[in-house]
Amino acid sequence: MSNGRVSLKKIVKRHGAFTALHGIDLDIEPGEFFALLGPSGSGKTTTLRIVAGLEEASEGRVFLDSTDITNTEPGDRDVAMVFQSYALYPHMNVRQNIAFPMRMVGMPKGEIDAAVQDAAKKVHIEHLLDRKPGQLSGGQQQRCALARAIVRKPRLFLLDEPLSNLDAKLRLETRGELKKLQRSLGVTTIYVTHDQEEAMTIADRMAVFMDGQIVQVGSPKFVFDNPATADVANFIGSPPMNLIPASYADGRIRIGAHELQTSCRVGGERNVIAGIRPSSVRIGPSGIPARIDLIENLGDALLLDLSLDQMTIRARTGTEVTSREGESVFFSADPTAVHLFDAVTRVRIND
Amino acid sequence: MKRSGIATASLLGVAGVFLTLWTFPVLWALLTSFKSERDVLAYPPTLIFTPTLGNYRDVLFGATTILPNLISSFVVATFTTVLTMLLAIPAAYALARLNLPGKRAGGFYILATQMLPPVGLIIPYFLFLQKIGWLDSYKGMTLIYLTFSLPFAIWLLVSYFEDIPREMEEAALIDRAGRMRAFLYVVLPQVRGGIAVTVIFVFLNAWNEFLFAVVLGGNNVRQVTVAMFNFISVEQTLWAKLAAAAIVTMAPVILLGLFAQRHIVKGLTVGAVKGGGRR
Repeated sequence: MSNGRVSLKKIVKRHGAFTALHGIDLDIEPGEFFALLGPSGSGKTTTLRIVAGLEEASEGRVFLDSTDITNTEPGDRDVAMVFQSYALYPHMNVRQNIAFPMRMVGMPKGEIDAAVQDAAKKVHIEHLLDRKPGQLSGGQQQRCALARAIVRKPRLFLLDEPLSNLDAKLRLETRGELKKLQRSLGVTTIYVTHDQEEAMTIADRMAVFMDGQIVQVGSPKFVFDNPATADVANFIGSPPMNLIPASYADGRIRIGAHELQTSCRVGGERNVIAGIRPSSVRIGPSGIPARIDLIENLGDALLLDLSLDQMTIRARTGTEVTSREGESVFFSADPTAVHLFDAVTRVRIND
Repeated sequence: MKRSGIATASLLGVAGVFLTLWTFPVLWALLTSFKSERDVLAYPPTLIFTPTLGNYRDVLFGATTILPNLISSFVVATFTTVLTMLLAIPAAYALARLNLPGKRAGGFYILATQMLPPVGLIIPYFLFLQKIGWLDSYKGMTLIYLTFSLPFAIWLLVSYFEDIPREMEEAALIDRAGRMRAFLYVVLPQVRGGIAVTVIFVFLNAWNEFLFAVVLGGNNVRQVTVAMFNFISVEQTLWAKLAAAAIVTMAPVILLGLFAQRHIVKGLTVGAVKGGGRR
């Protein structure tokens, strides 16, 4: 059995004068559940399509288990893909859809039937085999597409926003099942999503795409705790991290006329962007004075919009905070949870 | 929602008027085809007459038989249809899918050929066929019909191909089908409806064509429309035989229509995709 290690070397993709990918380098380990995360237009889907062979890279090489597959036809790459629209064949029933990839390589009928049953069972659609895709719900279509992908035991799964067409509840359920399915099959999986929460919960590791470049690669926890740039910090986590223009000197951050403590130490004085996650903002008897503009009750937590010198700072607090909208409060931040980014390059300063 | 009685009645009334307008000539021809030539000319026209099958006998097996002409028409129309589809399907697919340079201009040119009045082409076509010695031949007739049916068929089919999501083909490519089989197994079955529609139109146009048939045909290839025209002569017009010939000529086309319609309807229902909403 093959293992499925993927390497991208300096992949560049141009569409005329527009450059979609500016040199992507990426290594994905065998069996890994790897997410390509980024806002729309950041190049994550293009990268996936280049791995699939549906698009040609303008420069660079693609390797699958040390074989150069840059110029290999999609069908010869031993990869399976689930499309955002599922791309089921509407004139075939579920059974024929799942059987299609095996029919194309001329597998004997008996083997095909067994494999179809097996794949359908894994995604719980064995009772729907005789239906046409048009007669299935969105969730069932999604499972059918998944079955068509796993049936041939490929070296690599490529999933392009597979959950984005499902409703919220089904998306959560399917997310968990997808993760379990991937674990049980042990097949390397590349998963494209713009939903940071999805990537955080499902992936072993992820690459964050911004403007056709990979800004950061790492486990979801690492990226969340150590965002490489202010933009990554802003993209990951919900509600997003507060990014406050400030200056740093000697363990203190000056925001306008106010000061915050930080445990991070860098030399000299410099302009920075202070990043504070809403959950790290503390409301208390002392600190920086600010006015509460808005309180959103999430049931188990409160989201506060605090205004300070025309800036809005979001705080996520426990429900014990009793202040009302319009009142003034003091806030501070956990000194160990303050991130510092360079004011110009927006790159992370502290480590 | 329920319509009022008046609305329903007036709707039925309008439908009735149109139905009468459309069916009257056909019914009249049907009636005429069973009359003797004397009854046809009776004035005022009579609805009560002794029906006769004589016209059909004459038209099918008699001295004025149109059977050879029906066969000629069938051969020309079939050749035209088959060749048109063989060429138009790949062409339309290419136009719909590939980013060819000059694709837009080409598309417009195809449409523009349909705007040309056919009369203007008769003399050039005649001279052309004469030069290559294809006048009054099946290959000549088919070639000329192709010049009209091919652009039309391509133009009609392109929109059907464009409706098929690219991702579906890409899925087939990844499923190891290769370009050819992705086309044959995934794309083609989904444009069945469009193909049926195109076949009907192309066949119908070739079958009913008269102008080119009368000028470019002759003794070898005399299509049924030309043969029917011969019932109208300087001395007399054989209305009853003409009507019988018209009815006989209509029959195969109606059969083709019914056959293809079943496919169209089937194609439409099969193609429906719930949810995902790409179609």
